[in-house]
Amino acid sequence: MAVKVAYVVDEAKDNVATILSNDIKKGMTIPVTFDGQEQQITVSADILYGHKVAIRPITKGGTILKYGLSIGDAMVDIAVGEHVHIHNIEPVRGRGDLHADKKGSAF
Amino acid sequence: MGKWYGYRRPDGQVGCRNYTLVLSATVYANSTVERVANTIYGAIPITHHLGRCQTKSDLKMTFDVLCGMAKNPNVGGVVIVDHFREDLCNIDEMAEEISKSGKLIETVNIRDVGGAINGTADATRKAMYMTRELSTYQREEVDISEFLFGLNCGTSDTTSGIASNPALGFCSDRIVKEGGRSILAEFPELMGAEPWLKAKAINEEVARKIDSEIDAYEQRIYATGEDIRGSQPTGDNIAGGISTIEEKSLGGAKKSGSAPIQDVIGYARVPGKAPGVYMMNTPGHGAESITGIAAAGSQLMVFSTGGGHTISHPIMPTIKITGNINSWQRMNDTVDLDLSGILAGTMSLEEAGDVIYNEVVATLNGKMTKADILLERTGFAIHRVGLSI
Repeated sequence: MAVKVAYVVDEAKDNVATILSNDIKKGMTIPVTFDGQEQQITVSADILYGHKVAIRPITKGGTILKYGLSIGDAMVDIAVGEHVHIHNIEPVRGRGDLHADKKGSAF
Repeated sequence: MGKWYGYRRPDGQVGCRNYTLVLSATVYANSTVERVANTIYGAIPITHHLGRCQTKSDLKMTFDVLCGMAKNPNVGGVVIVDHFREDLCNIDEMAEEISKSGKLIETVNIRDVGGAINGTADATRKAMYMTRELSTYQREEVDISEFLFGLNCGTSDTTSGIASNPALGFCSDRIVKEGGRSILAEFPELMGAEPWLKAKAINEEVARKIDSEIDAYEQRIYATGEDIRGSQPTGDNIAGGISTIEEKSLGGAKKSGSAPIQDVIGYARVPGKAPGVYMMNTPGHGAESITGIAAAGSQLMVFSTGGGHTISHPIMPTIKITGNINSWQRMNDTVDLDLSGILAGTMSLEEAGDVIYNEVVATLNGKMTKADILLERTGFAIHRVGLSI
């Protein structure tokens, strides 16, 4: 892959990109390649190396797609350019807290 | 077809090291084991806090893991030290099980020889003669098909899933193509990656086992009633940009490449003979996971770490790789391979896979990892399920 400041694994499906720069600050516009072309995304927060940025609008309860597959659900509406992490998305799997009715059943 | 040079054992397995192992049968032999190993050139101590007051199924797991350490082909001979004689996990039963490998075995019972000082002297003398005998063993040329390749990751970040793990997948594919076998483990960290894995299963039965064993882990998580975030993904994963267990799983599964998944096996179990990937049901806990893989007879592991790591198994050389340039710079003293070229655009994933492959073969042939040289041995831990009783 060529040098990129942000990388999309499945360019046709994913709605997040991974930041590959140590210098991404709020208000910067960065190039991100998806849907077959380079597009410009303006980030609305400082985003650390390795963290994710939304490249498509995501509605509350919508699926976050990376690798073309679900990595969880949006807890709130997420706009293009927003930092996507534990403050606005949550896992669907392994949620013992949502299955309290099953507590103790596996032991 | 790739070749390497290893030590052929009486049971036919081939090791990449020729260790004298000093093995503790129970927590109360640990200090004697450490004294002996500190005295003997090149000897590896294995100590632990288990071996008694465990449920029978856990005690069996402890027994299997300890015997697995001795049966691993990297071990030429073993001195087992015991303190008393616990049912199901004692030097007599361990020696009987390990003897199936045909290796050199010595045992010392601390109480029988009159205490820790006598036990230390007795075990040291036995280890000295054993090490002298092992020093006459020679390496011979063998095929990559004799190699059981361990795959694991830890302190993962988002570079793991897009750089070092898929590169490791290419390396694993090459080893399988040359007749070798790989082990993919860490079942709770495969939650969410089932569709991707099942597509590679050799048949419906294996696909069903992938689903059912990952689901069994999820049911046990439900039974805790807890939100596992913070433990999965871990704090270091989250700092590295991984937001959910599904994201971690999809990245982690990439280590297994595109080769067929032959079977799903239990913790510390020996896989079948057909080339391919075997999935071992281990926890996400790194040291417990890689110990299960070592107990299955894996000679060497590549450990992919976006964030950098110190982990290294005492008897299974553990090559650490990273695709994160920041981690390469920060954790350079215990990470062996810099794969940051993948994300810098100077190296393809296939090329990175070849870089890993070449390091694997060199290490099989005797090259030491940084962690081996530093005596980093934090990679040994025995998985347990039940209570201390």
